[in-house]
Amino acid sequence: MTATENIKIEKPTKGASIPAKEGIKKAILGILKKALETESLDAIMIPVKVPETESYAWVLLKDTVLLENANPLPPVMTIQGGKVLSDLTKHGKINKNIAVILRPCETRAAVELFKLKQLHFENISLISIDCPGAIPLSEYLAEPEKNEKSFGNILDKWDKDDSVRAICKTCYRFSLPTLTNTPASDLHIGLSGNTKDDVLLIPITSKGEKLLEKLDLKPDSSLKKWEIKINEIKKIKSQRRKKFNQDFKTEISGPEKFTAVFDGCINCHNCQSVCPICYCQQCYFDSATTKLSSEDYFRRAKDRGALRFPLDTILFHLGRMSHMALSCVSCGACEDACPMSISVSQVFSLVGEQTQQAFNYTPGINRGETLPLQDYLEDEFCEVETPSECEPTNSNEVKENV
Amino acid sequence: MSKKIGVYICECGTNISDRINIDRVIDEISSLENVGIAKKYGLLCSPAGKKYLVEEIKKEELTHLVIGACSPREHEQTFMKVCLEAGLNPYLFQMVNIREQCAWMISDKEAATRLAIKYIRAGIKRVTLHKSLEKIELESNPDVLVIGGGIAGIEASLSLAGPERKVYLVEKTEALGGMTNKFAQLLPHQGTNLSIIKDKIEQVNNNEHIEVLTSSTVKDIHGFLGNFEISVTNHEQDSETKEFKAGAVVVAIGFNLYDPKEAPAYGYGEVENVINALEFETMSSTGKIVLKNGKPPAAVALVHCVGRKEEGYCSKTCCLYSIKFARILKDKLPDVDVSEFYQDLCLPDKSDQNYFEEAKKKGIHFIQSDEIEIKDINDRIKVKYKSAEGKKEELIVDMAILASAMVPSQDTPKIAEILNLPLDKTGFFKEAHEMLNPIATPIEGVYIAGCALGPKNIPDSIVQSQAAAGKILTTLVPGKKLEPEVKTAEIREEFCTGCQTCLSVCFYGVISFDEQKGISTVNEAICRGCGSCVGSCPSGAIKIKHFTYPQLYREVLEALR
Repeated sequence: MTATENIKIEKPTKGASIPAKEGIKKAILGILKKALETESLDAIMIPVKVPETESYAWVLLKDTVLLENANPLPPVMTIQGGKVLSDLTKHGKINKNIAVILRPCETRAAVELFKLKQLHFENISLISIDCPGAIPLSEYLAEPEKNEKSFGNILDKWDKDDSVRAICKTCYRFSLPTLTNTPASDLHIGLSGNTKDDVLLIPITSKGEKLLEKLDLKPDSSLKKWEIKINEIKKIKSQRRKKFNQDFKTEISGPEKFTAVFDGCINCHNCQSVCPICYCQQCYFDSATTKLSSEDYFRRAKDRGALRFPLDTILFHLGRMSHMALSCVSCGACEDACPMSISVSQVFSLVGEQTQQAFNYTPGINRGETLPLQDYLEDEFCEVETPSECEPTNSNEVKENV
Repeated sequence: MSKKIGVYICECGTNISDRINIDRVIDEISSLENVGIAKKYGLLCSPAGKKYLVEEIKKEELTHLVIGACSPREHEQTFMKVCLEAGLNPYLFQMVNIREQCAWMISDKEAATRLAIKYIRAGIKRVTLHKSLEKIELESNPDVLVIGGGIAGIEASLSLAGPERKVYLVEKTEALGGMTNKFAQLLPHQGTNLSIIKDKIEQVNNNEHIEVLTSSTVKDIHGFLGNFEISVTNHEQDSETKEFKAGAVVVAIGFNLYDPKEAPAYGYGEVENVINALEFETMSSTGKIVLKNGKPPAAVALVHCVGRKEEGYCSKTCCLYSIKFARILKDKLPDVDVSEFYQDLCLPDKSDQNYFEEAKKKGIHFIQSDEIEIKDINDRIKVKYKSAEGKKEELIVDMAILASAMVPSQDTPKIAEILNLPLDKTGFFKEAHEMLNPIATPIEGVYIAGCALGPKNIPDSIVQSQAAAGKILTTLVPGKKLEPEVKTAEIREEFCTGCQTCLSVCFYGVISFDEQKGISTVNEAICRGCGSCVGSCPSGAIKIKHFTYPQLYREVLEALR
């Protein structure tokens, strides 16, 4: 496997415009249906509505009837798509041509898992899609129908809606095309910010280009209007993120405040099991090493006056953070899964972003990059040893633009 | 089997007993789980102390031993030997440093005592989790592969070959001698001393313990100290591959010359009669020193430091051989006018200064200069330069000889990949330690000698070859078995996710990826137990014997409690 297969290096300037008079969902599903019918694709991995709970599950399908219940951009993120793609391809490449449609944060998680050799991209056409955010899982499930409707409104209002998850409100990486030699996705679906507007299919790699060719779609529409819109929203969300970084940092800094955030934690480790980056076979914190003898517990209780059970709740979160902060894509899966409504994803995203900045690293936007901890740069030692004397490192810098 | 830990606190003369209340320490720890006995002793490392410990271990039938004394750096080995003598596995012992870390560090006796209790408690907890580790022995092959048949490779081969040790000397060209084949005269004493190289080649060819493989290149090397499996391809005989084993490898693949075409200002390849150093050596050793038109030059410029700025280092040998060229020129063409254009003179060896003074007496001009530009001017050569005073000057000559920098051999990256050796910024091989271990590499049993490590002259190359031979002679003794590190890393299959992060951090290249199982595996025979992989493993799938997570975790917990 080479990381550089099917690569097109020029920045995309044109896309194929698909009319979306009946809404973007119908438009995209129409294209996917055509791809299956013409055998341009062998199967599609896509969220499909589960009738009983009105929730969504990932389904690998080739039956066009099943496709009718699919949703390329569901109002919720039930299971992180990067994790799903890893499940499908972890043990080697697949031999069928498959397309998978992922939100930008899911795409980026997939790229991080690829770097960790937990995922293969051969024969996968990764289609990313502009994302206005997702509704918190618990809120959606309380009133699915109402929320399904309101998500349609979000797609019209984009940044002006507050019903999306907190982490989505400050997400400025909601659109993906990036100018790198080995970008994240093959094809990007550009949404102009209105459900009735045309949908743009933007080829990023030659794999994406070929898929459009097979579907007889010509990328002849300008991306200008879409780019302007995306940049407008990006500007607003970036500013929001900046403010969030400042405010939230004050809110959680210091041992007392930090501990307080996790006060309600019930040690269910849901955050770890839904996290796409937490890919360990078994978590250290679930292992026998962390369980002590009763004599040990009593001694510790005696030393401290009292002992909270189970032990090491904060250590679990800190340990997980130190493991995955560099690759955290701020997808919010952990917070959605937390039964105690702890702002896990916001804490991790904040810490993650700062850790990533220290390495000039943006996780998940470039398949050709290596993880900072696998990539030793001599000048990084200076940053550790005598930070005041060293010049900023630029060797890992990646151009990130829409 | 139930555990019976013996804890012995050393008074260390008065070093420890003056600053720590040892009786209180003993009092506090005696009741701890598994502690069978806790005592103090005057000086445990003394002959009497060691004898006392052996007797105690036997008499008390101890299963584990904890010693509270000085730094393990000082006496861990001492007490491990005591364990062996008493029939206790030496890895069922833990040393606690209460001298440097408590007694010498804290003046308040009460505080020092409290800290000593914590540390000894941590040691006791740790030792209960220790496992017996057994040393293993590996057969080792005393033979040596020498890559490169230049002067460094020749010297290494001659130093190593003997009745009990065969040397395979692999040379990619058809003849031994390397770069020296092109030399006219050898430094520092010039004259007809080239015969000493020929003699050495003769000695190699006549040595029945050296198998010379010319026109051959190394294709693959696998294995580790004492057990390398090597395949060599002969590109004359239909790429025939020869396979053999050796216990150590000496890389002596030499250097290349910097191509002056990369710096067009020197006019090399453009201006007639601008030649490089090796071309001059060949010219003066094989024939007359003449220009393209067959006439002898009336004036010659010797240009130093060609490529120094571009490559970023001084090539160390060029000043001296440029002076040698000047002297050869003066000897052969007494009327010739010779000018040396130098940036800084590098004359580091003891005979160099005298050699330079003699050259000056012979009327050779030395011009400190910079920004040299060589141009064609009516069949002669114009050397434009900036003088030491900063003035633009020029000189007309007939011939210019460029002293090109020595750069890594073009084979360096390939050999580096085959042997998993690191290169430094200059592109030469990187020493295991530039100062303290300059001919070793991170791969045990692989040494580097001569210009493969960087520019140097013949005597320095010979010294390195002899040093590499010395290292090999002392580690690979024929008939002696090797004792690999016991505290090695171990990958637990059920936890490994196959992300291969460990491969990227292993300095010794002992981890490989098992494609079939989808997991990483450690070659324990050559693992040095540094622990880098353990720290890097995101899944905690790697454990290092004697430093397992439970051992460290419990130890730290006790120390902090």
